[in-house]
Amino acid sequence: MSKPKVGIFGLTSCAGDQLVILNCEDQLMELANAVDIRDWEMAKSQNDEECPLDIALVEGSVAQVRDIETVKKIRERSKILVALGTCAVWGGIPAMKNDVPREVMLEEVYGNDVRFIESKAAQPLSSFVKVDFNLPGCPIEKEEFLQMMASFLHGDIPEILNFSVCSECKMKENVCQIVYKNQVCCGPLTRAGCGARCPSHNVPCTGCHGPIEEVHYDSHIKMFQLKGIKPEEIVHKMQVYAAPAWMPEKLMEEMQHEGE
Amino acid sequence: MKVNKKIAIEHLGRVEGHGGIHVEISQGKITRVNMDIYEGSRFYEEIILGKDFEEVAGIICRVCAICSADHLLASQMATEKAFGIQVSRQTYLLRGLLLHGSMIESHALHVYALALPDLLGFDGVISMASKYPKEVSIALSLKKLGNTIQEIVGGRAIHPINPIIGGFGVVPTPEQLLGLKEQIQQRLKEALATVDLYAQLLPLPAFADSPTTYTALEPRELRYSYLGDLIQTSTGEIFPVEDYRKVCHERVVSHSTAKQSLYANKPFMTGSLARLNLNHKHIKGIAQEVQQRLLPDLPNTNILHNNTAQLIELIHSLERAIILIDKLIKDGLKPEKPVQVTPKAGWGVGALEAPRGTLFHAYQYDDNGILVEKWLPGHTIPVFPVPHIWSKFTQLKTLWYISH
Repeated sequence: MSKPKVGIFGLTSCAGDQLVILNCEDQLMELANAVDIRDWEMAKSQNDEECPLDIALVEGSVAQVRDIETVKKIRERSKILVALGTCAVWGGIPAMKNDVPREVMLEEVYGNDVRFIESKAAQPLSSFVKVDFNLPGCPIEKEEFLQMMASFLHGDIPEILNFSVCSECKMKENVCQIVYKNQVCCGPLTRAGCGARCPSHNVPCTGCHGPIEEVHYDSHIKMFQLKGIKPEEIVHKMQVYAAPAWMPEKLMEEMQHEGE
Repeated sequence: MKVNKKIAIEHLGRVEGHGGIHVEISQGKITRVNMDIYEGSRFYEEIILGKDFEEVAGIICRVCAICSADHLLASQMATEKAFGIQVSRQTYLLRGLLLHGSMIESHALHVYALALPDLLGFDGVISMASKYPKEVSIALSLKKLGNTIQEIVGGRAIHPINPIIGGFGVVPTPEQLLGLKEQIQQRLKEALATVDLYAQLLPLPAFADSPTTYTALEPRELRYSYLGDLIQTSTGEIFPVEDYRKVCHERVVSHSTAKQSLYANKPFMTGSLARLNLNHKHIKGIAQEVQQRLLPDLPNTNILHNNTAQLIELIHSLERAIILIDKLIKDGLKPEKPVQVTPKAGWGVGALEAPRGTLFHAYQYDDNGILVEKWLPGHTIPVFPVPHIWSKFTQLKTLWYISH
């Protein structure tokens, strides 16, 4: 069997998820031998920008006209498209203040004469193209990335976790940041995969992996209320990484329901 | 003047971020060079306004993955200054260790994986491994060491989570640091083997020689260091970091989403070569031996030597990291709670030498610890006065210099 052709791309981003790939120092050469990396601007200077790809790994959010064209072109040439990192999956930090018009942002940051910048409110890839797999994280976790690639290489469907940071935090036997420290911790709402990094360092979870799909809204709201944590505080934190609108809406809804 | 030749490089490879170059030539002379940055705007200057002091550093470090630890610390230092917080000596030393981790990772990546393939004629580090397997393996283990230091001290190699305002969430254990020390000692020996390979590439092409103004922080103590309270320039001027705006005059150019910084109306250079040019008298130990072998004549204005300077700093950071670990252990490394923070209205500047240039963060807080005003260097790729996108093709700096 021929090696799968891979392209690695960055849209508007900090390049952190691509850097995680380069940070797989112990596996990088093996990985580079197992696949055929055809297009990777950040790491190579000779790239085939047209060839069909088996797997496209795309980091970053879509935040300008150029990004829309780029992601559509990548989709057309790829069998599997993976959204790599929280920006690609949810919009991420650049999408935090999408409600502020871009003209206002541009003037604030660049001054008056900035017509040459075609800025757009930052969106996840899925707003423009079909995404086959979402691997969130700010940045993605090395182990999760390697497991995903190993699955692809074995012809399997990667298993993307859908349980909360709390599960991993309990396995680490950490003292709960909410129950014992009254901290605004996003762990119950946030997708696992990080091994509960922040609570393991005595720091509350900031939600950088984005939300899980099935949040236990009612029981979480009760717990937050019991500890005097307002849902607005949790929503504020989850929105730093641009949690989709349904999550805060659902939380606020549940909150009102509880209050009745 | 009629333009009779144009050179367009639409995508620069092996660069973190997106950029291209457009050159115009008329009658055999370069008349225009544009370094175009295509990176989408993320508006960090705007999105951190209104944030609570505890959130600011974690958001702002996402400006750049490579130097996220540096952004995080510069941001926390600015906030601490605004609130008048003094951190413990242990925190100060651990932060220093974290910065060396960042320096080791960034320099190893840049010198070996981004620059060396050009000098040796490969399209990237992966293809370079076919002829230089030993060197690439050393390079990767050095890069890994830089990441391991950031993992242990910072809690994560990219966008660290353990450093917080006033200290650390969890202080590393003596066992962890001693384990690190062993690894650093081993890597230092291996790194010296790559110096031989690098020495074979000298002299570097002279076309990139471009006298310009260099700036760097003046080390706080009389040794080669990345922390300081004064900005020094190669023209002999000294400014307190609070006067950073006298050195960095930002301007918007119509071909780039990244701003450019000028000093005295001219481009200037920061980063490894600038630091070495200004502070080389402080460099000691094995790093000094390597400097005398590879770059004996300082100051040097061939900006391709930024790569040489990075290699020298890499060795220096390995040596310093060992010394810092020894100090931390000798002082009796202990679990320690972060300094208690009482937010108050105030203004503060945090400055440090990041791998690819001097970094300034300046914040104004209100009584509740909410960020109300800020100044950050250029907001997309060029977070430094000299966009670090230039550091891969450092000769671009020359071209840009000519064009302006």
